[in-house]
Amino acid sequence: MNTFSAYRPFPDATTGALAIVLVALPFVLPSVTLASELVVFAVGALSCTFLLGLVGLLSFGQGLFFGIGAYGAALILLHSNSGSLVAVLAAAAMAAIAAAIVGFLSVRRRGIYFVMLTLAFAQMGYFAMLALKNVTGGENGLTGVPRPPIVADLGVLAHPQAVYAFLAAICFLAFVLTQRVASSPLGSVLRAIRENDIRADALGYDVRLFKIAALAFGGFLAGLAGAMHTIFLGLAPPNTIEPEMSERLVIMAIIGGTGSPMGALIGAGFYVLLADFLSTLWPRWLMIIAFLMIAIVLFLPNGLWGSAELLIGRWKSHRARAVSPEPVDG
Amino acid sequence: MNISRRTALLGGASLLASPMIARAQTNKVEVVGIYSLSGTFANVGDLLNKGTVMAFDHYKTAAGKQINYTLLDDQGDAGRAVRRVQEAMGQGVRHVVGCTNSAIALAVAKEVHARGGIYIHMAGADEATGSQCNKSSFRWPGASYTAIRATLEPFMQANPAAKRWYTITGQYVFGESLLTNAKAVMQEKGLTNLGNSYHALSEREYSGYITAAMATNPDVLAVLNFGNQTVDVVRQAVSFGLKRNVKIVVPWCTGLDQYQAWGSDIVEGVYFGTNYWHGVESPGNRVLSEVVRAKTNNATNYLQACGWAVAQMFVESANKAGSLDVPDLTRAMEGLTYEGPTGTETVRAADHQVIKNYYLMRGKARSAMRDADDFAEILQATKAFMSPEQAGCKMA
Amino acid sequence: MQGQVILFQLLNGIGIGMIYFLLSVGLTMIFGLMRFVNFAHGTLYLVGAYTAYSVSLLTGSMWWALAFGPLAAAVIALISERLILRHTYEMPHEAQILVTFALALIFQESIILIFDPLAKNVPVPSLLSGIVFIGSFVYPAYRLAVVFAAAVIAILLWFALERTRFGAALRAGSESTEMVSLLGINVQKVFMVAFLVGGGLAGLAGTLSAPLRGVEPFMGSEALGVAFVVVVVGGIGSFTGALLGGLLIGVVQSMASSLWPEGARLMIYGAMALVLLVRPAGLMGRS
Repeated sequence: MNTFSAYRPFPDATTGALAIVLVALPFVLPSVTLASELVVFAVGALSCTFLLGLVGLLSFGQGLFFGIGAYGAALILLHSNSGSLVAVLAAAAMAAIAAAIVGFLSVRRRGIYFVMLTLAFAQMGYFAMLALKNVTGGENGLTGVPRPPIVADLGVLAHPQAVYAFLAAICFLAFVLTQRVASSPLGSVLRAIRENDIRADALGYDVRLFKIAALAFGGFLAGLAGAMHTIFLGLAPPNTIEPEMSERLVIMAIIGGTGSPMGALIGAGFYVLLADFLSTLWPRWLMIIAFLMIAIVLFLPNGLWGSAELLIGRWKSHRARAVSPEPVDG
Repeated sequence: MNISRRTALLGGASLLASPMIARAQTNKVEVVGIYSLSGTFANVGDLLNKGTVMAFDHYKTAAGKQINYTLLDDQGDAGRAVRRVQEAMGQGVRHVVGCTNSAIALAVAKEVHARGGIYIHMAGADEATGSQCNKSSFRWPGASYTAIRATLEPFMQANPAAKRWYTITGQYVFGESLLTNAKAVMQEKGLTNLGNSYHALSEREYSGYITAAMATNPDVLAVLNFGNQTVDVVRQAVSFGLKRNVKIVVPWCTGLDQYQAWGSDIVEGVYFGTNYWHGVESPGNRVLSEVVRAKTNNATNYLQACGWAVAQMFVESANKAGSLDVPDLTRAMEGLTYEGPTGTETVRAADHQVIKNYYLMRGKARSAMRDADDFAEILQATKAFMSPEQAGCKMA
Repeated sequence: MQGQVILFQLLNGIGIGMIYFLLSVGLTMIFGLMRFVNFAHGTLYLVGAYTAYSVSLLTGSMWWALAFGPLAAAVIALISERLILRHTYEMPHEAQILVTFALALIFQESIILIFDPLAKNVPVPSLLSGIVFIGSFVYPAYRLAVVFAAAVIAILLWFALERTRFGAALRAGSESTEMVSLLGINVQKVFMVAFLVGGGLAGLAGTLSAPLRGVEPFMGSEALGVAFVVVVVGGIGSFTGALLGGLLIGVVQSMASSLWPEGARLMIYGAMALVLLVRPAGLMGRS
């Protein structure tokens, strides 16, 4: 499977590309709300991209943390006077803590076991949401969540454009933060664990602890996305914590490719736009997405973004060869 | 042809937009329906939407303007529903109908109200015409209070010996409000509530709950949940032989489609409450039944009737108002009386609840069925609704 | 009185547990044998159930359904193994998971296309439709039959695994595929048989539970979640683990529904978390 490449200078060209894309989205897409949905899921998918690409952990349970972020933000906004930014960050922190606890239980097992556990915990989260209906609103979800200014009286989120700007800024910071983590010493250790956790263990790293830390960061990203979702919609519907949400985030990450954080943006964009388009044509559009996923896994193991990068790389080297007067391999 | 890169990109992007909703034209009215055709609730969304489509095909015009109906698939996702509504309303749409579940309806109702539209739906949540009611939203079916009052009260009257009750309840908001209402009725009538078992929204195996119920030796088992779970609980209860000495009452049942899922062996002798029955003799139902029969060659089920009713309410109110402006429509809707699927129906002004019949039915033996759809007989039709004050509706 | 309830719940739990066992044993065997995790395993349960529905509708008899349900699931398992899954054996686990997960989605959507998204009823075979009196309490005959049928199959399966040459190859294969090749056994053939049998058993679980809970298109993904819990609790690759895990989860779920009904489902995961803390490799698993 494709993975975060060994070392990336930070910030790099993709950071700039990301900024351009985020600014351009509301102008290119037919509606600013579609752009908002896209950036929310980009951050959600990023949590899967990060875990799978950098640490080699396939989590079918990120929907749980997405849901905790969504409900957490909704509860904070409904029951306190905090600004939107504080609510988003606090909710993401709650998700990170939950992810660390789940991580503590699941990193006891590796490989397949780990995947099954994440899936089981995601289902458990859904049942817990239903059982705690006095807090979560049960199957009706939490509605009428206010959208206060970002901090104190600054940054009023009255218009969809303002909401998008806020969400896009968080999205940008989340990507930059992920790149930062990936290129930090912590990132190198996580990469080493991905390559061979037994050797990493022999080198004296507490593999479990590092995995838990990575899962907590992944949970933070997913929780951030969930909280953004609540700000975006002004409600926390039950499907934010359904197991299907976990699946959706994984699909997005895979389609985009987990070799780079940009893959999450591409995957989320592709999925959101395609679902939007296909669902008007054929109610069984999910089948097309599934076929696409098989094709990508079997034939484009680097995902859309990874393959595009590869193509660009080849094209560049091809040009370099054409331009250079001497044979490169001479 | 020379298409610049930028226009091609923009063209491609707008192709990805939610269904093209044409700019408002003077001789047309744009109506959107919010249903889940994919995702977990696809099973109901499809039939609801078909009902709405059939209604608009039948009525063709509202207030003299041609109806142009567009379906927005929310994929079972309240978030997507809200976003789709935002986009449609951004393009000038003001008239929204339909919902597949309460979470979606409550969210869409807020959105449509905030943006000055009108929304007619079929949510089951009491809040829709209670604590979360608003000026722009109207609800067709009776909810939990209606289901309990219109089912249990006539049942109790007819079965005075049935004193000991056990309840199996879905542990979610809707099940909970069915239970609260049922307990109130039991208390008023001085009946014994032996106990209750909760099951979760995604529970599939009920033998444990049924066993617990049997152990208390009740006269009546009331099943308080909805959808597939109702089907499963009743099926499993019958398989445990509960029908031999216990009466089973299902206050919230969707009627025909659930009877078909059970088959007459299970349905026989069980009591059901339902918002719609295709066999009802009324002018409104005759029209509906003819249209559905012509289109599908089948009897109408509850979901199709719901989809139809919200569309019909829109058309009736527009024709009464002679206008499609939202304030005119709202005014026309409040107090509107029309021949609906359950007979004469009235929209109550105070909470925007449609006051209509709710039916208590009893399953027939296979030998007594006149045709393949004749699963049950109507014992009583009741209009039982909470007062707007009781419901807690403060119209905003 | 109280004792009767407990006995009841125990019987129910064993019934559910036996179905969980049939559902999970293929998953755990295939994983043990080829380190292959099949996210499309729930699909085989789904196929078994829908075949039971169609066959009982066409023939009016559940007995034919009992034959065709497992058969259809086994055939589907074999075809997907030969056509698609085989090509992913050399790929990382993640790729296998994603491909099989996508397959499960395709099957689920196909079922909605072929049938419709509504739940359907499957009648109990007329011979077993009654109730059985055990002392002073009643019990559905069909549920009792399910317990017996599953027990017979478990014994046969155990016998096949422990007492036949092929079973020895299967067990050896789950230890080391090279050893099996050295013994001159065609590993590919062993894999195929594992898929055939495992798929058939999941199909049988679907067929048997169809009259209990009806059929609907999303029952496959739900079954997959349960199977995972059973496998994690029992220990991956272990036949006895699947049996113990299935029974434990079934009984826990059933008992919890009378002790703490709200949390019956949560309790399953609680049991799983507990097993993980105490015995991370599962009840019968090797670390």
